Amino acid sequence: MHRAPAYSLQGVTRAYGAVRAVDGLTLAIARGETTALIGSSGSGKSTVLRLLLGLEWPDAGEVRRDGIALRREALLEERRRVGYVIQEGGLFPHLTVLGNLALLPGYLGWSRSRIHRRALELAELARLPSGLLERFPAELSGGQRQRVALVRALMHDPPTLLLDEPLGSLDPLVRHELQEDLRAIFRRLGKTVVLVTHDLAEAAFFSERLVLMRHGRVAQEGSIEDFLRAPADDFVREFVAARRELPGRAA
Amino acid sequence: MSRRLATASLLACLLVAVLVAGARPAAAATVTIGSKDFTESVVLGEVARLAALERGVDARHRRSLGGTRILWRALLEGEIDAYPEYTGTIGHELLRDLPRDAGIGELRARLRALGIGIGEPLGFDNGYAIGMREETAARLGIADISGLAAHPSLHIALSNEFMDRADGWPGLKAAYGLPMEPRGMDHALAYRALASGAIDATDLYGTDAEIAYYDLRVLNDDRRYFPRYDAVYLYRIDLEQRAPGFVAALDGLAGSIPASRMRSMNKAVKIDGEAEEAVAARFLDVAHAGRAGPGLLDYTLQHLALVGISLALAVVLAVPLGVLAARRPRLGQVLLGLTGILQTVPSLALFVFMIPLFGIGAVPAIAALFLYSLLPIVRNTHAGLVGIEPALKESAAALGLPPGFRLRRVELPLALRSILAGVKIAAVVNVGTATLGALIGAGGFGQPILTGIRLDDLGLIMQGAVPAALLALAMQGLFEAIERVLTPRGLRLRAAS
Repeated sequence: MHRAPAYSLQGVTRAYGAVRAVDGLTLAIARGETTALIGSSGSGKSTVLRLLLGLEWPDAGEVRRDGIALRREALLEERRRVGYVIQEGGLFPHLTVLGNLALLPGYLGWSRSRIHRRALELAELARLPSGLLERFPAELSGGQRQRVALVRALMHDPPTLLLDEPLGSLDPLVRHELQEDLRAIFRRLGKTVVLVTHDLAEAAFFSERLVLMRHGRVAQEGSIEDFLRAPADDFVREFVAARRELPGRAA
Repeated sequence: MSRRLATASLLACLLVAVLVAGARPAAAATVTIGSKDFTESVVLGEVARLAALERGVDARHRRSLGGTRILWRALLEGEIDAYPEYTGTIGHELLRDLPRDAGIGELRARLRALGIGIGEPLGFDNGYAIGMREETAARLGIADISGLAAHPSLHIALSNEFMDRADGWPGLKAAYGLPMEPRGMDHALAYRALASGAIDATDLYGTDAEIAYYDLRVLNDDRRYFPRYDAVYLYRIDLEQRAPGFVAALDGLAGSIPASRMRSMNKAVKIDGEAEEAVAARFLDVAHAGRAGPGLLDYTLQHLALVGISLALAVVLAVPLGVLAARRPRLGQVLLGLTGILQTVPSLALFVFMIPLFGIGAVPAIAALFLYSLLPIVRNTHAGLVGIEPALKESAAALGLPPGFRLRRVELPLALRSILAGVKIAAVVNVGTATLGALIGAGGFGQPILTGIRLDDLGLIMQGAVPAALLALAMQGLFEAIERVLTPRGLRLRAAS
């Protein structure tokens, strides 16, 4: 079951002024699986996604896709191999839901009917009422917006999905429901998924393979059991403990 | 969205077409006469036009073009062929390094080198003088200009031209040792201020109609400071070949207008409200067409053309400049700085700067208004683009869309409100600034305002000022309507939530 990674970072450093968001990071993203990147804010996990998208470029080291370094010249094509969902969805407020979904396919020259068919198909997959397609983002609930963002990311059927705290701003009930739906969709589509979250439980729910980041490096990677049984150092122990504190007290 | 934009741009094109048609050029005439923006100059312009007509020369008169500089430049550039001028102005303002006692022969020789001819004096001296209310002068016992020096608390207001010119205030102050600090004021308004007691003394011209009307005392120039200002016509020397009949007509006027006659003609126009053309025709004892002056519709079309064309051109250049400024921050600072500097140029000066480049008329006015419109549009385009949430810009980039497509479909629509607000500011400001276009012959609502100031006719001023104000309000309303139509519903929803 060992396959070549879809993406890999080789000793990548990316600094903003004096702050190294990513610091000599080496990491492989397994193909066709969900990888969860966790860590506190500022640990560099979002920067990893931005590096994979070519929104940032390494100061040192290399980002590779299928073993080949990303090139600036092929940037647009690289980005179209990826669907990207951010915390607040990043929907364009001046366009309807359908307008948002149609933006990239329209540029790629799809016909209106093809765009519409695909939108309906994915709306069903994402349990998004098709009546919402003519609405504007401002007329949707937070959960609906995230479903639209997911559908937009999937329109052109990219092999990879990058999600940056996609559920971070939702209330617990909506979040719970959407977690279930997202996991089902990921399993069904079999895409390479990288999910960034600061919630250990959510990471464990989505993924067999968790990567905990700290100061732009990997603090530990492995299954949730590895984290619980054999934390690599005091930081990992504290991070795990902090997450478990609430249910522990309730019990 | 794109269909709406297409409709809007189609409408804009139609509007511009209508406006261009509105700014139709006047029919070509053999000779173009200009005049300065005061009554006597306009009357003399009409006298020349009608005298030429008598000799079968087709002449037109572009009246009230502005001050000396504007007329002189226009004459040198060939925008006009002739205009009435005064020997003192020629000797001291136009040809600077002349001896103080230069005669007309010397002027003629010097002007000839510039391609300009000068006719014989018309018969009156409209030199500068200083005038006070008779009552004040009698009470203080002031008969001579030197008498002013003993009353430093007197309020003096002077026409702006007199304040600055070499033979004006600076020389007068030195010659008589006058201690006052005068204010600048429009010549016609100064009479009112004098009559109401707001000021005590002002500069006058020897043939001003108001001297008798307001019961003014002309102070004696006891140190013979003021040079002579004999009225003459200046004309382009090529007229001697091109329109010899016109030059002959001007020659025929030499020595025919004594000061008393000029003063009564000035009074007929300025105080009694007769048309310049009628007064000039009576002087020449010829019939005149009783030509109807331009009406409100003409002024409105001219004004709309000035504002509309300059604004359309400014949008075409300023929006791309705003985009460039947003894309390249360092270049953006330079661009915003440059357009900001343009904005600080006083508008009258900017209009005058355009004359050597574009002559006189609508074109230089449009150029000046265009430059004025750049800043608000560039700045608002820049601000609108820079103000887009980074997450949205990044989402568009992450989709793998090329920059141009992102700009058209995401960034410009999101910045549209800000851009339209900039265009609206430019439009409303332009409506006001365009009234200055009348000073350089561009017409519009400034024309009745200017004539009204010249004739001291409040009603005429209102005929320009009220429509200009209404047009500014209409512009505001129009752009708010455009904003409502063009702003995507999704953005309005978001603003409401």
